[in-house]
Amino acid sequence: MKAIRGVLLTCDSAVKQILLTMNEKQSFIIEDLDDFHVVIKADEEYRVRRELEAELEKNTYSLE
Amino acid sequence: MSKRTAEGSADTSYPAKKSRKARDDEDYVDVDNFQAVELESPPDSPVVPRGATINFSALTRKLADARRARESGDGQDESSLSTHRRQQDALVSHVFQDHDFSWLHLKADHASRPLWISPEDGHIILEAFSPIAEQAQDFLIAIAEPVSRPAFIHEYKLTSYSLYAAVSVGLQTEDIIEVLNRLSKVPVPESIVTFIRERTLSYGKVKLVLKHNKYYVESSHPETLQFLLKDRVIREARVHSERVDNSIRAATFTTSKAPVKGNLVIPGTKEAEKKKDEQTNGKGANGKTDAELFTSVVGVEQDEVEEDDENVHAFEIDDAKIDDVKKRCNELEYPMLEEYDFRNDTINANLEIDLKPSTVIRPYQETSLSKMFGNGRARSGIIVLPCGAGKTLVGITAACTIKKSCLVLCTSSVSVMQWRQQFMQWSNVTDKQIAVFTADQKEKFAGESGIVVSTYSMVANTHNRSHEAKKMMEFLTSREWGFILLDEVHVVPAAMFRRVVTTIKAHSKLGLTATLVREDDKIADLNYMIGPKLYEANWMELAAKGHIANVQCAEVWCPMTPEFYREYLREHSRKRMLLYCMNPRKFQACQFLIKYHEDRGDKIIVFSDNVYALEAYAKKLGKLYIHGGTGQTERMRILQWFQHSPEVNTIFLSKVGDTSIDLPEATCLIQISSHFGSRRQEAQRLGRILRAKRRNDEGFNAFFYSLVSKDTQEMFYSTKRQQFLIDQGYAFKVITHLEGLDDLPGLVYKSRDEQIELLSSVLLANESEAELGSDIRANEGDLAGTVTSKDFGMPTKAPGVQRTTGSLTALSGAQHMSYVEQNKSANKKLAREVAPRHKLFAKRDKDIAAARKEARSAAKG
Repeated sequence: MKAIRGVLLTCDSAVKQILLTMNEKQSFIIEDLDDFHVVIKADEEYRVRRELEAELEKNTYSLE
Repeated sequence: MSKRTAEGSADTSYPAKKSRKARDDEDYVDVDNFQAVELESPPDSPVVPRGATINFSALTRKLADARRARESGDGQDESSLSTHRRQQDALVSHVFQDHDFSWLHLKADHASRPLWISPEDGHIILEAFSPIAEQAQDFLIAIAEPVSRPAFIHEYKLTSYSLYAAVSVGLQTEDIIEVLNRLSKVPVPESIVTFIRERTLSYGKVKLVLKHNKYYVESSHPETLQFLLKDRVIREARVHSERVDNSIRAATFTTSKAPVKGNLVIPGTKEAEKKKDEQTNGKGANGKTDAELFTSVVGVEQDEVEEDDENVHAFEIDDAKIDDVKKRCNELEYPMLEEYDFRNDTINANLEIDLKPSTVIRPYQETSLSKMFGNGRARSGIIVLPCGAGKTLVGITAACTIKKSCLVLCTSSVSVMQWRQQFMQWSNVTDKQIAVFTADQKEKFAGESGIVVSTYSMVANTHNRSHEAKKMMEFLTSREWGFILLDEVHVVPAAMFRRVVTTIKAHSKLGLTATLVREDDKIADLNYMIGPKLYEANWMELAAKGHIANVQCAEVWCPMTPEFYREYLREHSRKRMLLYCMNPRKFQACQFLIKYHEDRGDKIIVFSDNVYALEAYAKKLGKLYIHGGTGQTERMRILQWFQHSPEVNTIFLSKVGDTSIDLPEATCLIQISSHFGSRRQEAQRLGRILRAKRRNDEGFNAFFYSLVSKDTQEMFYSTKRQQFLIDQGYAFKVITHLEGLDDLPGLVYKSRDEQIELLSSVLLANESEAELGSDIRANEGDLAGTVTSKDFGMPTKAPGVQRTTGSLTALSGAQHMSYVEQNKSANKKLAREVAPRHKLFAKRDKDIAAARKEARSAAKG
């Protein structure tokens, strides 16, 4: 089997839930380790980070 | 952080947590560099907010780099101060972009002057720690609108309306510029000087006066009147009484003496007390201490002296066209001031009311009223005071000063009764003189003059009136009112307002509000329809003087449990809201805080807009609760227990508690769910504890907690809600972890199983449960947009008939079904009778209450 390059992400449980939801749309998670750790595909890392950022930013109030 | 490209006003108002976040981001802050930024480039400061929080980390890094570079090449550069400075200016200026004002020249003694003025947008930054800040504040409040007033840096904004207001209290253009210049660190920019000249030139020069029942346009500048008469709309509205020719000459204007304050005394003030007949100079202590500098400008009366022998010109206009003329004048940039010369009004009967001798008003209430009655006439305008600071008393005192028929409009039928009751309490008005006009009660006062209390919608309603209401309206519109008091002006829709203002003929209008903010920014309309903002109190100052309680605000972040958060992410309907309200961690935090504060001896109110969550919390934690569905007797019983019994220290309230329930015992407030980003609700809720009975105890603090579920929309709303209070100077602490929460005995929803059980019950709940404030139905006559209504829309219609199918036996309960209530409401356990009180304590309480009342009235006197 071909080896896939992975990246270990450490996150809090809420972020992990967001990742799981994102994973349902487009799969990138290789292994779901525990509440705080998850291994994802290395070449998806940038996209995932960006989308996660956007998702979290939605809950931030900014003055215009 | 870069997202927060706050505009100038924002940065001073940053919530504590944000700036802390910003600071956390910097890995390393070199103190020297930090100061260098602030001190070396002071001209940038007017807009520091924009830059400051955004990029300090980047900035420090850059500065450190620059210094390193310089140090390495130390030989050729003797680090002369000027090069150093230029270098740093260059480094800093990009942060401010087009708001870089480093080209402004500082005055030599700038350190002792407290103001910065931005040449572009008229923002004024005040160093509130400056020794003369207090006087500067008095002045700024008169000429500019406060934007944000935290502890050390205040921000004000010069606007057309604020200058209009300044002129309306008698300030002169040149004085304004002169004093600004004296206080400013930089010479007042040319652009600002022109702005002030332009605005003050036209504003306040024209007055609309109702005299002998006729409307007059009045001005001490005949050329202004001539200018106005050149306009077609105004010319047509003019009534030609003495001559029919159209020649516009000063000679045709009626001329009379300008009014002076004379011996008008506002009841309840110190002046009234001392029975001083002559006009006193300066209102407060600061007027006298720094007389040379400020009284000439801030003190109202002196300016009137100048105007004393000036002649006033006027022409009469048609009653019916008054609205067009007002509008037209506004378009011509000559907005009319409305003043009422009530002492010379012989047509309308006097209303013999006065404040009770025991009633004494507080200094800030006096100041606000002195702005209204500055020249012996009643000016129309708005007075802004925090909740619990005695807005009602200001209104009543104004009514007692004018002593003419008075119409009070409020937002709901509940507050109608409160106003009536307050009138009876503070003034010597008799039962017969005060009437109520609501859906249920339609009274008229006996005699020539009196007071009518009603709601906006009762008066503005144009259709479907009952016969009685129609007759009552005829009564209201047929007569002339000396004074119209508008409560909670910020919530009234513009259209409704216009209807009220045009149908009812009133000489003067006073708007009262605590929060002059609206989520839809329609505040500007009020300026035109009622008048300028006459006075706005500084919350922090009132708190410092003990008029309102000191409040510690905190936002508690409760992480979502993974299960709840997963469902939250999946859900896209309103049920999301239910999920973040019912977050088990929030439950725990709530339980913990209640326990903690009960042990300290606090009385706690927990607010929840969401009724489903309210019941779930209250039942789980075994506390009493009140929502719209709670019956009147049950309500009274619960409140009584809360007030008197030491066993009941916590109650849960839905939206009903936002305004209509007054609980001075409460000292701690926890909110678990709220109306989205409503700044007004936040302020209103805070107002519940501002009048805490114990506020004058040594070191007393009231507490205000917002429980927020992390990583959800609630975070967004919560920050937005706080903006108003932050602008008033409150700081919100962020609590991310409650120490000792996990060790709390009997902690609810501790195990995962329980949490999942809770989740499933939440998921089963109807979507309608997620709605806010669904328990309260607006009464007929309540105003849409007040707290009573469900979604800040129109009042909901009474429920139609519901049709259900079922067998008669089932409906009558004859089918073999029985229910066991598992999660019993604590309300039910409450004994039927009133809180048990030993006779001894009851008697003692009565004595204490009496003594306190006496003491209070004595203190006021």
